[in-house]
Amino acid sequence: MVESAPLPETFSDLLGLEQFGVAGEFLAGLLAAGLVGTFVLLNTAVAGPWAKRKITASFTDRISVNRVGPWGLGTIIVDSVRLLSKELIIPEDADRPAYDLAPLVLAGSALLGFAVIPMGNGIQVADPEVGLAYVFAVASIASLGLLMAGYSSSNKYSFLGGLRAVAQNLAYEIPLVLTGASVVIFAGTLQMSEIVAAQQETLLQLGPVAIPTWFGILNPFAFALFVVANLAEVGRNPFDIPEAPTEIVAGYQTEYSSVYFVLFYLGEFIHIFLGGALIATLFLGGPAGPILPGIVWFTIKIWAVFLFTQWARSALPRVRIDQLIEIGWKGLLVLSFANLILTAVIVGVVGV
Amino acid sequence: MSLEKPVPDAPDEVGVTEDGLDYDALEELVSEHVIDRESHVNAEALVIRPDAVQDTLSALKEEAGFDHCSAVTAQEYEDRYESIYHLKKFDDPTQQLSVVVPANKDEPVSESAESVYRTADWHEREAYDLVGIEYDDHPDLRRILLPETWQGHPMGKDYNQNQPQVVPLREHVNPLAEDHSAGEDSDTMFVNIGPHHPATHGVLHVKTVLDGEQIADIDPDIGYLHRNEEQMCEQSTYRHQIMPYPDRWDYTPGGILNEWAYARAAESMADIEVPEYAQVLRTMSAELTRIAAHMLALGTFGLDVYGDFNAIFMYAVRDREAVQNILEDLTGQRLMFNYFRLGGVSWDVPEPREEFFEKIREFLDGLPEYIEEYHNLITENEIFQLRCIDTGILPPEVAKNYGATGPVLRGSGVDYDLRRDDPYGYYDELDWNVVTEDGCDNYSRVLVRMREVEESAKIIRQCVDLLEDWPEDDREIQANVPRTLRPEADKEVYEAVEGAKGELGIYMRSDGTDKPARFKIRSPCFSNLQTLPEMSEGEYIPDMVASLGSLDIVLGEVDR
Repeated sequence: MVESAPLPETFSDLLGLEQFGVAGEFLAGLLAAGLVGTFVLLNTAVAGPWAKRKITASFTDRISVNRVGPWGLGTIIVDSVRLLSKELIIPEDADRPAYDLAPLVLAGSALLGFAVIPMGNGIQVADPEVGLAYVFAVASIASLGLLMAGYSSSNKYSFLGGLRAVAQNLAYEIPLVLTGASVVIFAGTLQMSEIVAAQQETLLQLGPVAIPTWFGILNPFAFALFVVANLAEVGRNPFDIPEAPTEIVAGYQTEYSSVYFVLFYLGEFIHIFLGGALIATLFLGGPAGPILPGIVWFTIKIWAVFLFTQWARSALPRVRIDQLIEIGWKGLLVLSFANLILTAVIVGVVGV
Repeated sequence: MSLEKPVPDAPDEVGVTEDGLDYDALEELVSEHVIDRESHVNAEALVIRPDAVQDTLSALKEEAGFDHCSAVTAQEYEDRYESIYHLKKFDDPTQQLSVVVPANKDEPVSESAESVYRTADWHEREAYDLVGIEYDDHPDLRRILLPETWQGHPMGKDYNQNQPQVVPLREHVNPLAEDHSAGEDSDTMFVNIGPHHPATHGVLHVKTVLDGEQIADIDPDIGYLHRNEEQMCEQSTYRHQIMPYPDRWDYTPGGILNEWAYARAAESMADIEVPEYAQVLRTMSAELTRIAAHMLALGTFGLDVYGDFNAIFMYAVRDREAVQNILEDLTGQRLMFNYFRLGGVSWDVPEPREEFFEKIREFLDGLPEYIEEYHNLITENEIFQLRCIDTGILPPEVAKNYGATGPVLRGSGVDYDLRRDDPYGYYDELDWNVVTEDGCDNYSRVLVRMREVEESAKIIRQCVDLLEDWPEDDREIQANVPRTLRPEADKEVYEAVEGAKGELGIYMRSDGTDKPARFKIRSPCFSNLQTLPEMSEGEYIPDMVASLGSLDIVLGEVDR
C-alpha cells in the first residue's frame, strides 16, 4: 500500500500550483473534485442504470436491453436523450423553492460523501480527521431532500412517501452510525485513510493466501448489521417502503418528471454506491487487494455491494412500514448497541 | 374415494329429503308470501310478493339452509319487472331454489335482500343500474357499473341507445380532486387508489380514507371496464356467436373455464348430451387454463408484496408459458381460445398425438420442481410470512355471507368446489382433492392456489392417460347439434361452473328465437371483490394491497 497524500496535493505538486497560494489550492481542489466526481458519475449515472437492467434481468430470467450497440450499451445514450427530452411537468400547487431544490439536495448530498472516501492510488479529495462523521452527516441530508420532495409536491402519495422516508431513515441512521462507531473503536480514529490502513495487516496466513484484518472478517456481526442498515438507508428491498410502487405509486418522486426525475434517479444510485463505498472502506479494507491497483479493487467492491442490493431487490418481499420501524428500533438498534459495547469491552481488555 | 365431500352433521333443514329437494315443503314454509310457482330448468322457482323479500329469504336461509345467494338476476318483461334470487347451499350446491320477485311495471320497487345476504348489496345495485328496479331498504342504492350521471337503464325495454350521454368530468368523480368528505378538521386523509395505480390489477378505483397509514374506510368503485357483455350476448346467437365472449371476461387466461359456464347453461337449456371423449378434452383443457390463471395470480401477488423488479412474477410467467404453449397447440390461440362448442369442442388434440401428450407429460413432470422452487422462494420466506399471515382476515361466515367462492372461500376453510359438489364434465370420474386452508388470511389464499395447481396437474395427467388409450373409432368430439339452435320459449336456466376465480354462473331465458332474451353473468370476482372492505378496514395500506392481490380479481370479469 502506497502511502499517498490526498489528491489536491498531488495535483498542486504536479502542476506547480503552490506558487499561486490560496487560488492555486482552490484550483487543485477543484481539479481533484472534478476527477472524483467524474469517476463516481461514470459508475452511477453511466454504467449504473444499464448494469441494473442487466443484473435484474439475469435474476428474473429475462434478456433485457440488447438492441442498441453491443450488449445494449447504446441504451445508455438512448436513455439519457429520452429522459432529458421529456417534458418537465410541475404541479400547480407545488411549493416551488422546495420542490426545485429537493432533487439537488438528494443527489448532491450523496455526491459530497465521496469527497473523503479513499479510493486507492491516492485518489481522495480530502482526508479530514473526522472523515467518517462527515460522511454520515452529509449522507443524512438526503432525508431532508426526501421530506422536501414529499411535502412540496402537493400530492398525497408523495406526502406519504416523504413521511415514510423520514421515519425509515430515523430508524436506521442510528444503528448505522453506531455500527460504524464500533469500527472506529477498532481503528482508533475517524480518519478514513487511517481506518483503511488499520485493515492492512495479515490475520492468518493460509499457504499463499493471506487473510487480512478487514473489519468485516474481524467482526462479521457488525458487518452484517451495517449491510442490513445500509439497505434500509438507501431504500432498497426489503426496505423500499418510501417509494413502494404497488402501495403509494412512487412515493416522494411521484410528481417529478424529466430532469428532476433524472436527478432523483441519479441520487438514488449515488446513494447506493456511497453505501457500497462505506461498506468497502469500513469493512472490506477499502482499496486493498492483491495484484490489481487499488482503484480497481475499490470499484470491484462497490459493484459487489451494488450487486447485493439488486439481488435483495429481486428476491425479497418488502416489509410493512410498522414492521420496518419495529425491526429498526427494537431489533437493529439493540443489536448495534450490544455490538458497540461488546467491541469496546473486547478492545479494552485485549488492548488492540 | 378422495372426491367425496365430508358429510355435514345432518342438518335439520326444511325440504331436504332422500331424493333431492321437496319444493312443496319449501313452498309451505313461506306459503304466506308465495303468489305463484314456476319451473326453471335447474330448479323450481317461488314467486313471492315484492314486499316480503326479507321475510321469505331469511326463512329460507335460517330454516331451509339456503346460505348461498349465488346471484341476483333482474329483467324487464312486457308487463312487469322481475328480480330472481338464485339460492344454493354451500353444503350441497345441487340443492337450488330460485326466488322470483315481480315488480310493478310503472314503479318497479321491491324489498332489498341486503339484510339477509350481504352479497345482495352489489348485485341489487347492479340490477338497479342496468335494469332499473329500485330496492326498498337498500343501504346504498347507487349506480355501480355506469357513471353516476348516466341517463336511463341500458337493459330496460324503453332505453334509447342513441341518446347522447354526457358524462362530464366535473360531475363524475375526478380522481385528482380534493375531497373533504371526512371533514376539514378530522385526522383522516382521503386518497384515491386507482383507477390508475400500480396495485389495482386493472382499472379499479378504491376510494380510501386513511388514518395515518391505516385504512379507516374503503369503497371499491368499479365499472371502468364495463362493456355490458350481457347485452352483447343477448344480441348474439346461441350456437356460435356467444361462445367467444366468455374468453373476454377473464383474460388471465381463465377463458376455457368461462366458456364452460356458457356451454353448461346452454346445453342444459337445449338438452344437449356431450360425448364422453369431448368431456375429457374439456376437462383437460379447462384444468390447463386453471394452472395458467393461478400462475398469473401468484405472479401478480408477488408484484404486490415484493414490489416491481422481483423474480417471482417472471418465474411464474416463465412457467405459465409452458401451459400457454400447450393450449396454443390444442386450440390455436393463446388468450381468446374459443375452444368449446355447444355439444363438444372445436378440435381433437393435434396430430401427432403422441408428441402432444409427451409435451404435456414433460410439463407435468417438471411442475413439482417449479412448485418446490416457489415454496422456497415465496411461502417459506420469513418476510413473506410476516407480511401475509394474519393479514386480510376473512372469517368463513363472512365469506359465505358475501357469496365469496373459489380459492378465496377455500382459503377461509370452507370446503366448496363445484367441480366436485355439482359435478360436470369428467371430474367425478377422476381422482383428485379439493384444497382448503384454514388460515382465512392472505397466506392461505395464496397457498390454496399453489396447491390447486398440483391438483389440476393430477387431473390433467389422468385425462392424458384416458385420451391416449381412447379407441380410435370412438373419438367423438362433437354431439349432433342443429346448425341454428332455437330452444323453446320461456325456458329459464341458471348453471354455474368452477372458474379460475370461483363460481361463474350464467342465467339465460329463451324466447323461442335463436338469441337469449336475457343473459346474466354471475361473476365470481364481482362477489369476491365485495369482501375487500371487510378484510382491509383497520389494516395498513400494504395489507390492503396484498388482500386485493390475494382476491385475484380480473376487472374484465368484475365489470363485464
